[in-house]
Amino acid sequence: MFKRTNVIGGSMSLAQNIEVKTDLEKNKEYCLRQLAKIWVDFETALDNVPIIAKLQRGKFRLEDYKLWLLNHRQQVIEGGRWISLAASSIGHEHADLRSKFIKHAATEHKDYKMLEQNYVSIGGSIQEIQAHEKNIGSEALSSYMYYQAGQSNPLHLLGAMFIIEGLGQDKASKWADLIKEQLDLEDSQVEFLKYHGENDEDHMEEFYEVLLSDILEIDGMVEKIIKTAKVTARLYLLQLEEIGNY
Amino acid sequence: MSKVYINSIGAFLPGEPVKNSEIEEVLGLADGKKSKNKAPVLRQNRIKTRHYSLDKDGNIRFSNAQMASYAIKEAVEKSEISLSDIGFLASSTTIGDVLLPGLSSNIQAELNIGPIEIASMQSVCASAMMAMKDAYLQVKADEHECAAVCGSELSSRYLKASFYENTEHFKKHGEIPMESDFLRFTLSDGAGATILENKPNEQGLSLEIKWIDIRSYSHRFDMCMVGGLSENNDKFWGDYKSPTESENNGALVLKQDFDLLYKMFPVWTSHYLDVIDRKSLDPDSVDYLCSHYSAHSLKLQALSLLQKTGAHIPEERWFSNLYTKGNTGTASIFIILEELFYSGKLKSGQRILCHVPESGRCLNALMLLEVV
Repeated sequence: MFKRTNVIGGSMSLAQNIEVKTDLEKNKEYCLRQLAKIWVDFETALDNVPIIAKLQRGKFRLEDYKLWLLNHRQQVIEGGRWISLAASSIGHEHADLRSKFIKHAATEHKDYKMLEQNYVSIGGSIQEIQAHEKNIGSEALSSYMYYQAGQSNPLHLLGAMFIIEGLGQDKASKWADLIKEQLDLEDSQVEFLKYHGENDEDHMEEFYEVLLSDILEIDGMVEKIIKTAKVTARLYLLQLEEIGNY
Repeated sequence: MSKVYINSIGAFLPGEPVKNSEIEEVLGLADGKKSKNKAPVLRQNRIKTRHYSLDKDGNIRFSNAQMASYAIKEAVEKSEISLSDIGFLASSTTIGDVLLPGLSSNIQAELNIGPIEIASMQSVCASAMMAMKDAYLQVKADEHECAAVCGSELSSRYLKASFYENTEHFKKHGEIPMESDFLRFTLSDGAGATILENKPNEQGLSLEIKWIDIRSYSHRFDMCMVGGLSENNDKFWGDYKSPTESENNGALVLKQDFDLLYKMFPVWTSHYLDVIDRKSLDPDSVDYLCSHYSAHSLKLQALSLLQKTGAHIPEERWFSNLYTKGNTGTASIFIILEELFYSGKLKSGQRILCHVPESGRCLNALMLLEVV
């Protein structure tokens, strides 16, 4: 993946006989190390959010799942929109990246319909979920996303993508299985989570591909991506902590 | 402040190596039956031989304090100091010979040296690094010129099949649960020791301690590898009316929670990634990685992340003797270093990264050494 040059000549140290990395490679690795640390902190904090803790100790109720879907739908519906806004804020100099954002928005902008079907399948009303307001954590998360997406060349939103797609890849399937098992549901009733668990792996690969392109050469981009990931992780936790608080 | 050097390392492994086929001849059979868990556990940990202080007749040949004292004496034999030069003794173990006093008191008595300053570290595997860090700082701060640090384990006492036969679980299911059997077929006995000084050896190599970094994540985890907690995790061993009742409730055995263990891998990894940036550690500059952790387990858990973050140290640079000398808990890192130090492989300027994770309640320790 990386271009490397070999060190010529021998050395006392075995380790020094291996390839030398460029500054850009080191920068990428630094960025990924920081993101990995943010992810571990986020994952640990997730385990302590009451609704997730309840799911993990096997005490989830149907009303918990219903409430979670009702709250989650209100921010999922914004996902495709803020990614589209971000795409429109990307200049021609990054046209290839803009294509990826547009494609990503197109893939996800109707996901909320799947979530609504899951809600109806467990006895929820379509009118209620469609008319419901955001909880205070979702307000904060969506506002932050829209604000960042409106900035010029908001490529640092990759930091947000790392957290959100990471959740899909790492958690969605596990949560879907736990919910299905504890509430005795069919696959179709946890389809939104299942779908993300199965497809977000490709999205993460796409994320690494973009991150390892040239964007980290942009001055200050590494720090901005790291900060965006941190804020997104914190606000994602907040909307889970504030389920039911409107 | 002084520089601190590991100038000598000793190891003591009790008795002859015990092969996989002989383990139950030493640890015994619960209710006369062989364990179903033995083969899968040994396939997983890949240990081929180990040592036990416990012999086939059920006798303990060497106490924990004796094994530690033999390792220290061996380290002194190989060093340029005398026993009487030791001013500070730090020991580490998971479970000492007695509930109290601390292990270092009994090791000092075995060595018959003093008066000296001592510290007894009790945790799980990484207690070795706690003891090492204490001694490193003592010498660095010029409190002492010479310190002995040791780690010793006498796990076989608690791995005996007879320790499990009276538990409610065994009476009900007729077998030792996997969460305990995993440890029974993984842990074994031994001791290792190092001599630390504020100057390098005049003859031969020394290992300069560049830094020791320890982080505990116990605020995020429940207890994972635990001894002294009831089967239902609701009472401590001393909370029962009598030790018999405590035994019946499984509060006197060791066990490991695997679900929690798997959650610790990324946390340990994140500590290592943090150290790379905080200590400016270049993984490519590491010649040997001595990990109290197996390369094959790591491959399964974290390889892709380590590669992407430039943190991967290829397996050919790993040095371990876990497979032949057993997993001796807190003693392991000393026993690994002992073999590497006297292997003839080391050259001045090389760097050794030592890694000791601990699953007790999630802790990770790293130490960087430079050959001088």
